[in-house]
Amino acid sequence: MLGRDARDRRERCKTGIEGLDNILNGGVPRGNTVLVTGSVGTGKTSLCLEFLVHGSNSNEPGLYVSVTEPCDKLLKNIIPYDFFDESLITDGKLHFIDLPIVYERLGLEKAEFDFEEVAILISAIASIVHELGIKRLVIDSITSVCYRLKSQENIRDFILKLGSVLSEMGCTSFLVSEISPAEERYSLYGVEEAIADGVIVTGNLERRGDLLRTLQVVKMRGTMHSRAKYVLDLTTVGVLLVPLLKGGSVAGGG
Amino acid sequence: MTTATQIAEKLDALPESSAVALKIRGEQYFDVIRGILDIFAKKKEMDSIYVTATIPCQSIMNALQVLEIDTERIWFVDCISQIMMSVGEKHPHAIYVESPTMLENLMLKVEYLIRRAEGKKKLVILDNINSLAIHNNIKILSEFLHILVNNLRSKNTYTIIFSMEEYETDEMTNMLNLVCDESMTLEGG
Ligand SMILES: Nc1ncnc2c1ncn2[C@@H]1O[C@H](COP(=O)(O)OP(=O)(O)OP(=O)(O)O)[C@@H](O)[C@H]1O
Ligand SMILES: [Mg+2]
Repeated sequence: MLGRDARDRRERCKTGIEGLDNILNGGVPRGNTVLVTGSVGTGKTSLCLEFLVHGSNSNEPGLYVSVTEPCDKLLKNIIPYDFFDESLITDGKLHFIDLPIVYERLGLEKAEFDFEEVAILISAIASIVHELGIKRLVIDSITSVCYRLKSQENIRDFILKLGSVLSEMGCTSFLVSEISPAEERYSLYGVEEAIADGVIVTGNLERRGDLLRTLQVVKMRGTMHSRAKYVLDLTTVGVLLVPLLKGGSVAGGG
Repeated sequence: MTTATQIAEKLDALPESSAVALKIRGEQYFDVIRGILDIFAKKKEMDSIYVTATIPCQSIMNALQVLEIDTERIWFVDCISQIMMSVGEKHPHAIYVESPTMLENLMLKVEYLIRRAEGKKKLVILDNINSLAIHNNIKILSEFLHILVNNLRSKNTYTIIFSMEEYETDEMTNMLNLVCDESMTLEGG
């Protein structure tokens, strides 16, 4: 019993997404590294942005590290949230950084990183987090970083070290990972999901001709949580979630 | 006492945020709507969220205009226009759900309308359970009602579920009794 109590006492980082915080029994245990994974267009970026915006609205500065898409383009396409004000950025509560620019500054120009370069990258991210007092970090996507790491050991090393450095600073991180819908695992290399403290999966579900967007928390260290599938809607009031109806034995529930 | 004032008074006598199964006959339909939207909701200064799975919201809106009911505080979740291919011009007070089988989306749109004006007291009408039963099996429908009603109750919102007397089966009656706090019928036409 003691174990369970201790676990539930871990301080939470409330994502601010009400449905998700309910699924997680109050939020993500602070300092966790969470893999947000799913096929294209399922809402990964939107979910992560919302996590950051809620944080920066409640005195937890956020950093979005963009790898695949330039930040200014991303900001142009952001859902016009009722709770998002550009002043969050100008006031320095919400930061956006393009990782390719960081690579350039660090002289990491190679297409493939070795052990040493991984260490340089981690300490660069860590010092940004430290200097800006970042409490919530998003890397979108980790898959693109992993492309440069090539070997499973390097990927393992990267996520493990990054996770522990961030955790020590009390920073809760969402790492976006891209997978195709048919994939049995939750990440491209299969190691990311094992090392991460949490895995949130977004997806599409077809049911008798209707297409639904779904979200499922597959794993979250440090808290009890629902493992059920939820149906998700991306709205101007943020991500909304309701349980996926099972309806007894309705066929095609997937 | 008219049907409209009768329903308004009955609702008024209930505890806040009750869930009500309202059994009505076809000829009472518009009086019931008037009683709920024009008398009860107005008196309580509530926004109304009208979920229709029967008649396209445009037709309801037209009827409300004829009845001279103010639609300023009425919002629609329309689950029927799209499958009837009768959306036409989208109404600014309406959100459309692809089909009445998308029960999760129906709940999500209701949730959205509630969230968008948080703090204001609200009432949700579900019109009607019989139509939803045509498109969904009873198991998924009970699960849906259970989640919807509990969710609305936790948000201090009234829920009024219409059931057309002519079409109510025993199965539906049981289901409604299970999720609702109150079951109501009206006297007269
Ligand atoms: N500004 C917006 N307004 C309304 N809906 C939007 C907006 N931006 C995104 N969406 C909806 O969200 C969906 C997916 O958004 P998002 O970019 O968060 O997904 P993703 O999983 O990150 O996609 P990708 O795999 O391309 O990175 C879009 O397909 C669109 O339906
Ligand atoms: Mg994305």
